[in-house]
Amino acid sequence: MTFRRKLLLVFTLTVILSVAAVAWLVQAVTRNAFEKTESERTATLVAQFQREFNRRGDDVARRVSSIAASDPIVRMASALNGTPADSAEYFDLARSMAESHQLDFLDLVDERGVIISSAQSPAKFGYPESAFDNLAGLNQQGAFLKLEELQDSSALGLFAVRATRAGDHPVYVIGGRRLDKTFLSALELTPDMRALLYENRGDRFSADQLIDPGASGPASGENRPANRFQPLIDAVRRDDREMTAVLRWSSDQADEEMFHAIPLRGVGKDRPLLAILLIGNSRRQYVELRRRIRDAVLLAGGAGIILAVLLSSWAAARVTRPVERLAQAAQDVAGGNWNSSVEVQGHDEVAQLAESFNRMTSELLAQKQRLVQTERVAAWRELARRLAHELKNPLFPLQLTVENLIRARTQSPEQFDEVFGESSKTLLAEISNLKGIIGRFSDFSKMPQPQLRPVPVNEIVTAVHQLFQAQLPAPGRAAITCCLQLDERLDPILADAELLHRVLSNLVLNAMDAMPNGGALTLRTRNDASNAVIEVGDTGTGLTREECERIFTPYYTSKQHGTGLGLAIVQSVVSDHGGRISVLSEPGRGTTFVIELPKNAGRG
Amino acid sequence: MKRFGWQWLAASSLLIGALAVSAETRPQFGGTLHVAMHAAPSTLDPADRTVPDSFGRRGLTSLIFDTLVNVDDSGRVKPALAESWQPAGGAQHWQFRLRHGVQFQDGTPLTAEVAASSLRFANPSWSVRAEGDAVVIDRDTSAQDVSESDLLAELALKRNAIVKRNADGSLSGTGPFRVTEWERGSRLTLVANENCWQGRPFLDSIEIEFGKSFRDQMTALQMGKADFVEIAPDQIHRVSQDSHRIVTSPPMELLALVFVRDASSPEEKSVREALGWSVDRGSIRDVLLQAAGLPTGSILPTWISGYGFVFPSTADLAKARQLRGQAHSVPNWKLGYDNGDSLDRLLAERIALNARDAGLSVQPIVSSASDVRLVRIPLTSFDPWIALQELESEVGLSGPVAAPKAESVENLYAAEQSLLATRRVIPLFHLPVSYTSAVGLKGWTLQPDGAWDLSNAWLETAKP
Repeated sequence: MTFRRKLLLVFTLTVILSVAAVAWLVQAVTRNAFEKTESERTATLVAQFQREFNRRGDDVARRVSSIAASDPIVRMASALNGTPADSAEYFDLARSMAESHQLDFLDLVDERGVIISSAQSPAKFGYPESAFDNLAGLNQQGAFLKLEELQDSSALGLFAVRATRAGDHPVYVIGGRRLDKTFLSALELTPDMRALLYENRGDRFSADQLIDPGASGPASGENRPANRFQPLIDAVRRDDREMTAVLRWSSDQADEEMFHAIPLRGVGKDRPLLAILLIGNSRRQYVELRRRIRDAVLLAGGAGIILAVLLSSWAAARVTRPVERLAQAAQDVAGGNWNSSVEVQGHDEVAQLAESFNRMTSELLAQKQRLVQTERVAAWRELARRLAHELKNPLFPLQLTVENLIRARTQSPEQFDEVFGESSKTLLAEISNLKGIIGRFSDFSKMPQPQLRPVPVNEIVTAVHQLFQAQLPAPGRAAITCCLQLDERLDPILADAELLHRVLSNLVLNAMDAMPNGGALTLRTRNDASNAVIEVGDTGTGLTREECERIFTPYYTSKQHGTGLGLAIVQSVVSDHGGRISVLSEPGRGTTFVIELPKNAGRG
Repeated sequence: MKRFGWQWLAASSLLIGALAVSAETRPQFGGTLHVAMHAAPSTLDPADRTVPDSFGRRGLTSLIFDTLVNVDDSGRVKPALAESWQPAGGAQHWQFRLRHGVQFQDGTPLTAEVAASSLRFANPSWSVRAEGDAVVIDRDTSAQDVSESDLLAELALKRNAIVKRNADGSLSGTGPFRVTEWERGSRLTLVANENCWQGRPFLDSIEIEFGKSFRDQMTALQMGKADFVEIAPDQIHRVSQDSHRIVTSPPMELLALVFVRDASSPEEKSVREALGWSVDRGSIRDVLLQAAGLPTGSILPTWISGYGFVFPSTADLAKARQLRGQAHSVPNWKLGYDNGDSLDRLLAERIALNARDAGLSVQPIVSSASDVRLVRIPLTSFDPWIALQELESEVGLSGPVAAPKAESVENLYAAEQSLLATRRVIPLFHLPVSYTSAVGLKGWTLQPDGAWDLSNAWLETAKP
């Protein structure tokens, strides 16, 4: 990834994270505000419920007091007072009194707690009123919550107890009104709130026990089944404390409702959990607000990101352009273009860096030119030395032969012809020798350019191996073994087969010369990532470090009768193929030449 | 046994009669009587046994139809459409000579053929034929000994009334009133039969409304919309404190729990027995029935059988719990009751409460799909055997009690005990049947079978 892209990515991520952080902050603030509002509304509704509860309780207590003070009840109390009274004739009294005083429940109970008459369960006469352990204690107290057992079910109600005394034997009037949909409907709720009541009877949750005043409305019914309340109800029943839960009615989050469950308890020592008030707040407003915020954030964020990308792209380009120029110049220099330089703009750190780069390349170029010049001089000197050395050997016999001819002419004319004939042969032979020397130098200067064609490297190596196979066990010399290790995965490469054959032959000849006492010759090919690699190794005398450094220099040789052009020609051929040759050697252990030829040589 | 019953009936009737006569003045012709009744019969045919028997239905039958013989308050058989009867060709053949000059309400004369056809329709197993102006009944005596009193008692049953069934499906009788308008199960209008063999009735017409609850009937009476109504047992005490005339029969209606199917195992029988022991009949009588009726553990009332007290009727919760404890599983019974009767609802709820005390599960419902029903079965006859057989038939038991050749009390007791041992029926109470009327209605009486008799009733101030 380029520096500019990295910079752009950093800028963009910074903007995105900033926008996300702001969005999260806004949403968190919104949620807190909504929860606070919801909490306040729930508290208001609970207070309203309590007020309505108390108002209805007072109403029930007033009606029950009125019944207790009525003539029929007083007459009944008098009739039953202290005598083995026949209460049968009063069996229907509770029903008529409940009707006249508009109470849903009314029990007339004697001082032993036995039901004399019951409006809601007329058949219960003679049975004990088991819901209260201390009726006298409840007399004159305010209304309380009670779950009234009916024939096949039970009902929640607000009850009050009043006693009518005629003498020492009181008759208790226990009256109540049902806490039902009508009661819940009387609560003033905002449109997005609702109140439900769960009658807590039985050990298990039952949907039938949920009183929902809007059960027939759109907010309830099949789309909002009552059994969804079960986890919340069960939790309140289990932990016996107020709880809050969000109920999801559909896949649409806007349909969610947050319910606050408040346990309602009865009277008595245990204060049993009789009902659970459920106050629901629709989350539609909150969800819609959250959606609007999200949309706004997405819109602003998107626009901001686009703007940020553009701005950061411009800024990154401005920042990275000199760096890119520097990088390009460095690449040019690495590619051999020592004249590459960077335009210097401004005076900042990047400009200083560019200036330093330009200075550095200038100095490197100068040093290179000096080095080349030095090497050229050294090469000429070496060439002159070699030429002098090569030419000195034939010149000396020539000089001796000519001097011998002159001496013979002057001192022994009779033998001149004989000497002339022999000297002529010697002169011709040495001249021929000189021509040979000059021809080799000429050949080196006229190395042909390689004709690249797809060449199977393994076949060329195998051909070289076969060529020298007969010369390895030479008479008068210890035998040389040859090991051929070919990489079958090696595909053909673009190369000049003839030149490559010459290169390998030259290296094999050198290896054989390096093993006068025999040894092992290894020809190996292998497949590198981007190169075809050929190795020619021997177990001969090896080379010193200095020899390794100069071995490819033209006219340098470590042999007594070498021209010093063989490995120079090898390096030249490998170089013309776009490849590289190196030598690994250790004195006494042998030498290995490694040729790396590009697989795609010449394709570019 | 029977003497005891007749004496009770006779004494109460005499008392009622004495009270009534002293208050009545000279009968007047004319007027329309308005009657409300609880039953809502879907047919007027007395022989149709698909319709439950009721005192109201019997009263209706007696207004439109006549039987060959009647039974008076003393239990004696009196001639009705049959002037006389005698054995014909042996004790198994009885010849009933019809009264001359009797006409059906459609003007056709009463003939032996019509009477024989009517009796055959009502009793398919009987061999009945007409011989001249007499009806001859041949009884099959191979299985049981049929006495004269048995045959006459059966002929006096309302279901054996003589009915002329016309081709168009209409019915015609010889009774004091004829049908002019009939809205099945809802309303019936009768007008006086001018040619009645017993003489024209005093009333011009009677309008009867069916299916009225006891409370609605009392309301209609108090508002002057009805002249004659039935009284629920629990209302007898309260109504008696008003100025209305009340006539109450001996306890001749059995209030019982009847299971719709036989017990499938001895264990189920035990659980049913536990239910019988759990019901606190005493409290129910004192409170719900307001002291009306008699708690019972027997099917036949003591005043008919003489031994009813032998069957325990007091609650024994310990025994009920013991029986229930012996059962491995206890069914959840659905107790069906008559939705139109508030007393029945209370009774069912109280029985459910009592059952719960014994660890039994009983759920009162108004649906007909019940396991056990709270039913009222009017006793058909003073003859205990006939009453027992009719009750068996009414309950739907598969093996009716056969009258043995020796009609001894021991055999009757054994038959009743055998019937109770099936645990299909749990007797609870024997209830009286009571009626009351507006002050201006005179001359009405109670028939021995508990039905009202309005054939001689008249309105003190005739209504237009």
